[in-house]
Amino acid sequence: TEGPPSCPKGCDRCSEYNGCIKCKPKLFIFLERNDIRQIGVCLASCPVGYFGMRNPEGNNRCTQCKIDNCEACFNRNFCTKCKEGLYSHSGRCYVSCPPGQRTVNESMEC
Amino acid sequence: SERPALRALIKVSLLKHEPTGKPIILEGVFVGGSAGKAEGKLMQYHPLSLCNTSEDERQESDFITIVKLEHRVPRCLPLLDKARMALDKGAQAVIFDVSDDTNAAAELRETDSLPRPVVLVEADDAEELMGLVNKNEEANVVIEIKMEPKWPHYD
Amino acid sequence: AGNSSGEADRGTARAGCPARCRCEVDGLLHRVDCSDLGLQEAPSNLSVFTSYLDLSMNNLTVLSSGALSNLHFLEELRLAGNDLSVIPQGAFTGLYNLKVLMLQNNQLRSVPAEAFNNLHNLQSLRLDANHISSVPVGCFSGLRSLRHLWLDDNSLTEVPVEALSELPTLQAMTLALNHISYVPNHAFSKLGHLVVLHLNNNRIVSMGTNCFHGLHSLETLDLNYNNLVEFPTAIRSLSHLKELGFHSNNIQSIPEHAFTGNPSLITIFFYDNPIQSVGRSAFQNLPELRTLSLNGAANLTEFPDLTGTKSLESLTITGARITSLSSSVCEQLPKLQLLDLSYNQIQTLPSFSACESIQKIDVHHNKIEVLEENTFTGLMSLRSLDLSWNRLSSVRPHSFSALPALTKLDLSSNQLSSLPLIGLQSLTHLRLAGNNQLMELMPHEELPRVRVMELPYAFQCCAFVSCERRGGGLTWEKEEAADVTGRDPSILSSQDQDWEDFLMEFEDEAKPQHSVHCSPPPGPFRPCLHLLGS
Repeated sequence: TEGPPSCPKGCDRCSEYNGCIKCKPKLFIFLERNDIRQIGVCLASCPVGYFGMRNPEGNNRCTQCKIDNCEACFNRNFCTKCKEGLYSHSGRCYVSCPPGQRTVNESMEC
Repeated sequence: SERPALRALIKVSLLKHEPTGKPIILEGVFVGGSAGKAEGKLMQYHPLSLCNTSEDERQESDFITIVKLEHRVPRCLPLLDKARMALDKGAQAVIFDVSDDTNAAAELRETDSLPRPVVLVEADDAEELMGLVNKNEEANVVIEIKMEPKWPHYD
Repeated sequence: AGNSSGEADRGTARAGCPARCRCEVDGLLHRVDCSDLGLQEAPSNLSVFTSYLDLSMNNLTVLSSGALSNLHFLEELRLAGNDLSVIPQGAFTGLYNLKVLMLQNNQLRSVPAEAFNNLHNLQSLRLDANHISSVPVGCFSGLRSLRHLWLDDNSLTEVPVEALSELPTLQAMTLALNHISYVPNHAFSKLGHLVVLHLNNNRIVSMGTNCFHGLHSLETLDLNYNNLVEFPTAIRSLSHLKELGFHSNNIQSIPEHAFTGNPSLITIFFYDNPIQSVGRSAFQNLPELRTLSLNGAANLTEFPDLTGTKSLESLTITGARITSLSSSVCEQLPKLQLLDLSYNQIQTLPSFSACESIQKIDVHHNKIEVLEENTFTGLMSLRSLDLSWNRLSSVRPHSFSALPALTKLDLSSNQLSSLPLIGLQSLTHLRLAGNNQLMELMPHEELPRVRVMELPYAFQCCAFVSCERRGGGLTWEKEEAADVTGRDPSILSSQDQDWEDFLMEFEDEAKPQHSVHCSPPPGPFRPCLHLLGS
């Protein structure tokens, strides 16, 4: 940690106004919006609606899923967990399975 | 020839206080060519949110972005591109607190292609503005061109 | 799946909630968060109805066999950010309903050989950010429901072909950020349901021509940031491919019919390759392609044949040696919005009038000499036109006459001696610097909205800014303000007019009112009177 205020867990460098500005290796920085403030926090896995994007320089970031009705995703366009009551097929979420696809209710998949 | 920078008046009114409260008047410097008037709700952005890998976190209402620049954060985009990205996200204007990033002003001086105002603040003005942000105080901000009187007034 | 909806009973810990952990009861099921507590081992007194258990960011070094074996309802187990280097065979015994297992950011050097074998309902397995260099054969057997596998940010030097062949239901996998240098033939042949494959940030130099054989469902393939020298012809078997990335490699040419096998491609990212040559038919018959961007292909002399690639919205080919465009470019690309052909050797332009959606045309740094009447006729959406650094000597009177949306026009560094202003009323940015023969005055009324101007001579700026400037203060008022007060507004003092009233003058401005920035700015040594040229 560097200078007051002492940085939160998982953070290598922080500031009073921006929160964390550089996380420890392997962790993801998540830019948390709280009304008018936006501060950086360091996480081992990203919150609902985000996925972790790693890069060689270690600036790993939580990035938004771009799929409708998705709670967790593998990358921007591939959902791994749809919202309750929706069916997943090839990384997308459907109210009902697309034509030609059979419904599998136990796993909520097409 | 280097154009002298125009100064900005930043009028801040706290939304949660009674409307008669006098606005806080602060000052800054317009980045080259962007002088003009703008108004909106104050909204802080983390410096890492203005990178080419960033989301397009668009706000609905009119807002004015404020970013506290840190000299120790690896610059993910040149400042001009950060300013443009903030404006593309819908900001009516962008305020950069450059207190801890001394060469920011130089980097932004000579530009004339910014569609809306970009203002640099530092020292006490920046401290006061960021103090409001830190307390999560909802505030409305009006930015105007500060008229510099040419001649001292003689009676 | 464990989730926080329903009448969660927050905060009130009951039996089955270990000390200092944060527990929520959701109907019968318990959600237990023991993250970041410095724990050395898994808590023991957990309710059998625990469906979600977060043990991440602790100091666990060992997971003893059977430690969690009574948690038959557990669906999500988070062990990220601990110090696990070994996971014994029985560690996950009894977790019949486990769907999500997170082991990222630990100290594993190998994928546990048998620990996962009974997790028949596991759908997501995270092993990223460890030090895995070996994936034993059979380590994934039994994972007959696995959909998503993370092995990125490890030390793999090859694709674990045998181990992967036991994951027929896999839909998304990342092997990114490893040390893989070669992808053998049939590396993924059993993964018929795989939709997403990330191989970016490895050291891949070459690939077997049938290495992607069997990936019938693949839609996204990421080969960015590798050391590929040849175009990955192996993609030919990927008939459902939509998104392909191989930017930041060492590929020098794109062959003819490169994407014949991939009619569904929507995006192709291949910038930051030393591409010298491109087959003329390489980008044909890609009806879904939206963007094509190619920079620096020095051996490319002919404009590509884009027949059948009718959805293209953005075409960028810069730094090549194209000399002319096909006259049917707009028929081939009816949806084109952005065209950037800067830094080529184009001498003549076809008519773009059939490119009805075009918004931006950049053809700066070419050899264009003449603009015809119909070059830009009828382009109702054209906002920006950059013709700078060409050899334009003449512009027809009506070349720009029907461009209602044009706000930015750059004709700088040409050989113009005159400029017809018909149709340029909506301009906000006009650049003409570097046309040394262009000495005519431009009346302000013809350019009512202009805000930024770069003109050949200072005296030409006088029509747009107040000529006398004293005290170095930049003039920012509009011309009309000066007329009204009869004096140069820049010398108004606060006494002459109350500041609030003065500021109110701008209240009616619909948008921020900007000054007219004209350069070179007139001044004492660059008078407004045109003497012998200034």
